[in-house]
Amino acid sequence: MAEVRVEAGARSFSRVLILTGAAILVVVALAALAAPLLSSWGPEEIDANATLAGPGGAHLLGTDTNGMDVWSRLLYAARLDLGVAVSAVALAVVVGTALGLLAGYLGGWLDDVLMRIVDIFQAFPTFILALAVAALLGNGTVNLVITIAAVNAPAYARLVRAEVRSIRELPFVDASITSGASTVGVLWRHVLPNSLTPVRVIAPLNCGWAMLTLAGLSFLGLGVTVPGAEWGAMISLGSPDVVAGRWWTSVPPGLALLVCVLGFSLLGEGLQERADARRRS
Amino acid sequence: MTHLLSIEDLSVLIRRPGRDVAALSGVDLHVDAGEVVGLVGESGGGKSMVARAIVALLPGGARTRGAVRFEGADVLAMDEAALATHRGHGAALCFQNPRGALSPTRTVGRQLTDRLTTHQRMDKAAARETARQLFEAVGIRNPARRLDAYPHELSGGMAQRVMISLATGCAPGLLIADEPTTGLDVTLTREILRQFRHAADTDGRGVLLISHDLASIASVCDRVVVLYAGTVVESGPVAKVLREPAHPYTRALLASVPDVSGRPARAIGGAMPLLPSPPAACPFAPRCAHATERCTAQRPPLTGDGWAYACFHPQTGGGAAAPGAPPPPPRGGAGRGGVGGVGADALPRPGGAPACPPPPPGAAPAAPVTAPPPQRTAAGRVVMEIEDAHVVYGSRFGSGGHHALRGVSLEIRAGETVGVVGESGCGKSTLARLMLGLTAPSSGTVRLDGIDLHAQRGRKLRRLRTRARLVFQDPVGSLSPRRTVADAIGEPLRALGVPAAERAERVAQVLARMNLDPAMLRRHPHELSGGQAQRVGIARALVGDPDLIVFDEPTSALDVTVQAQILDVIAELAGDASRGSVFISHDLATVRGFCDRVVVLYLGRIVEQGPVEEVFGNPRHPYTRALLSSAPSLDGGYTGARVELAKDLEEADAATGCPLAARCPFATDECRAEPQHLTPYGAAEAACWRVPQIPALIREGAHTRA
Repeated sequence: MAEVRVEAGARSFSRVLILTGAAILVVVALAALAAPLLSSWGPEEIDANATLAGPGGAHLLGTDTNGMDVWSRLLYAARLDLGVAVSAVALAVVVGTALGLLAGYLGGWLDDVLMRIVDIFQAFPTFILALAVAALLGNGTVNLVITIAAVNAPAYARLVRAEVRSIRELPFVDASITSGASTVGVLWRHVLPNSLTPVRVIAPLNCGWAMLTLAGLSFLGLGVTVPGAEWGAMISLGSPDVVAGRWWTSVPPGLALLVCVLGFSLLGEGLQERADARRRS
Repeated sequence: MTHLLSIEDLSVLIRRPGRDVAALSGVDLHVDAGEVVGLVGESGGGKSMVARAIVALLPGGARTRGAVRFEGADVLAMDEAALATHRGHGAALCFQNPRGALSPTRTVGRQLTDRLTTHQRMDKAAARETARQLFEAVGIRNPARRLDAYPHELSGGMAQRVMISLATGCAPGLLIADEPTTGLDVTLTREILRQFRHAADTDGRGVLLISHDLASIASVCDRVVVLYAGTVVESGPVAKVLREPAHPYTRALLASVPDVSGRPARAIGGAMPLLPSPPAACPFAPRCAHATERCTAQRPPLTGDGWAYACFHPQTGGGAAAPGAPPPPPRGGAGRGGVGGVGADALPRPGGAPACPPPPPGAAPAAPVTAPPPQRTAAGRVVMEIEDAHVVYGSRFGSGGHHALRGVSLEIRAGETVGVVGESGCGKSTLARLMLGLTAPSSGTVRLDGIDLHAQRGRKLRRLRTRARLVFQDPVGSLSPRRTVADAIGEPLRALGVPAAERAERVAQVLARMNLDPAMLRRHPHELSGGQAQRVGIARALVGDPDLIVFDEPTSALDVTVQAQILDVIAELAGDASRGSVFISHDLATVRGFCDRVVVLYLGRIVEQGPVEEVFGNPRHPYTRALLSSAPSLDGGYTGARVELAKDLEEADAATGCPLAARCPFATDECRAEPQHLTPYGAAEAACWRVPQIPALIREGAHTRA
């Protein structure tokens, strides 16, 4: 009896996690899209009469040293942060999965070469690597997506390769080969759909990390630079003011970052729980 | 009289959200000391639930009623401390999968001595000595050396022996073996079952032997209990239940298993239900040919003393196995013959005699052929031609590797069915992979429809591959989990470039031919039963109209009544003159059922081949004789002189001389030195130079033993 309750409990718990995480992200995304409706100021619009004005009045969350509206920047930054994080992870998943699929299924020298490259990538701490790649590629939204994708793709390649190596030994792969399917056909129709389970769990978690990486790069001046609206850049810009007691320039973007990463983490954890529960039953 | 174990009116109801399962409904059975009781039935019948109830290891959500009394105490009412003593000391469980049940990071000796030092309070030296003796008792050679082996270093049979020694280590009163021989080949099955008989005879333990395979356990059991849908349908002495079963289910179960003497399997339709509540009527009634209104209105009680059955219309007379049985309905395809029930000396184990009878004195060297040789002339075109093929699986690190096939030549013609038999590890599956182009030969050629399969590349190869199809051992595993049935069956057509509309039509046709509901096309593999999945597998093999179908142990993962249904389907296909079939099995009886020719493989070589009646009726090679001697049978089975092999199969034996020399009772120095080649003897060929002398040797052996 107890065991049954635990199973049912695990399932409803994972549901709560998934729904909460998804709800947070949906709210943030909607706010980002509706930014022009929610704020009367543009993200890079300068109110020369009010630099470092406190919250309230004409500026809901005050202004920063340049006289730009914090609330408005906060909303527009969500577009960039969510957009870059999600598209970078999507790119990493596509590239990493493709490489892992080929390496795992074909094996041989291709596997050796690809996996040694992956080893090199993974030998560096992720953030240091991101710094190096960002410095190499230079600024710009597209370059940021590429940078963050590049540091995350090796993990997917390794993950998918491991899955593929066990899947290719299963009888249904032999069945497909003897049915006359081409290698691409076997990979696309049988191996790929069956090897994506762990990717589905890791990718949302990874979006949270990607967002932190982006904010970190911007904080250090290698990502988005002021006047571009990005949470990391906003924190960086406002950090001297916090010491002086003007908290409204840095704390709101920090909290926004926290809420988003939390949303992704809850979603990822929930998916993980659900996958585990399914494996147990 | 009190029994060692007595289960009284035990009911187990498993409550799951949305779905209750009545796993056991009023089960009564008992086991005495020194007695081997067989518990048989198909999966889902409640066999494992009985085993779990005896050691109070029921799954979560289980509600029980009734009692499990072990030496008078109710196991279900025990507290944790009493249970700890009961498990291990009182009743010990042997698992189905010994390798899974042994811890991979500790030596098997350590796992055994740990139990002895904790439960029996022995010191280390004494424990090791006892462990050595236990290993010796279960037939492990070199026990002192094996104590230091890790589980992965042991073969399947050896691991099962270790499992038995672990279970007997704490001197339990009752030994429960849950499908101990599933997955083992015939020679090992016989050897392992003998160990359980031994435990009952010499140590006076009670043994509860759980199996779905009636024939194989028949020779070691004193009594059998037949379970169906959580109820006992028949129980009694083995001679009664298996020779003249009263319950229609027992009869159906027996008839579902083909016999090595040539009697084919007879299938009954339907499948066992999973009941949500204890049955109010006879649970077998929907599948029963004798059912009347009374059967669907009330549940027949289990009546009778000693031999009891729960049926309103008990049948009398011999079961499927007896000579009086009605002749099996004719099936498609020629070349199968043989009459059931050869000898009255069936069930070789009377009372407490050793499980394995010595060769009967003066046994005829050439057993009478039970049926005239098949008349079919295999004049069809050659669809598969293998010439002197060797397969070496290289190891990734350094040299060496596994030499799976060592020079096999074989021809398969359209319209014929060739059986391939041999123990596990003899290269049967490698041969299948070779014919399908999944494994390339290290040397030699494989020609499919006259085209060298391994010289082709790209599109040509892919088209050629669709000419030969494989039906897999694991029916569900051979279907991609995320693809529908329609997708799976249609795949060969997709490769051939058949347009979608025609594809759907042909898939529907072949599905109908397999007697599957068209609604199944949209299902995924996990929604199918084993039998349904295997029908889908066969449909997939059939849809592209291939020239060769290879069946690689297609029924070994299925329940017996489902096995019989699938064998029916395969037998019908095998009769088709437009293509050749290869049927791979370690179960000789199924091969005899519908093959025209048999090939006996041993360690990658063909040791005997010929027409099926010739090879089975008058085997030449000692290995073939040994396989036939080990084949489980309810009908008396193989009537020729029995040959016993020493030791288990070891791959190293294949290196020089005759590969069988190390296990063969007739081996000489010449056998050990000289490799053997196939030589014609009558209609068959065998790779043994002593064939002409063997009948005389067997007679001598029988005389010296007598």
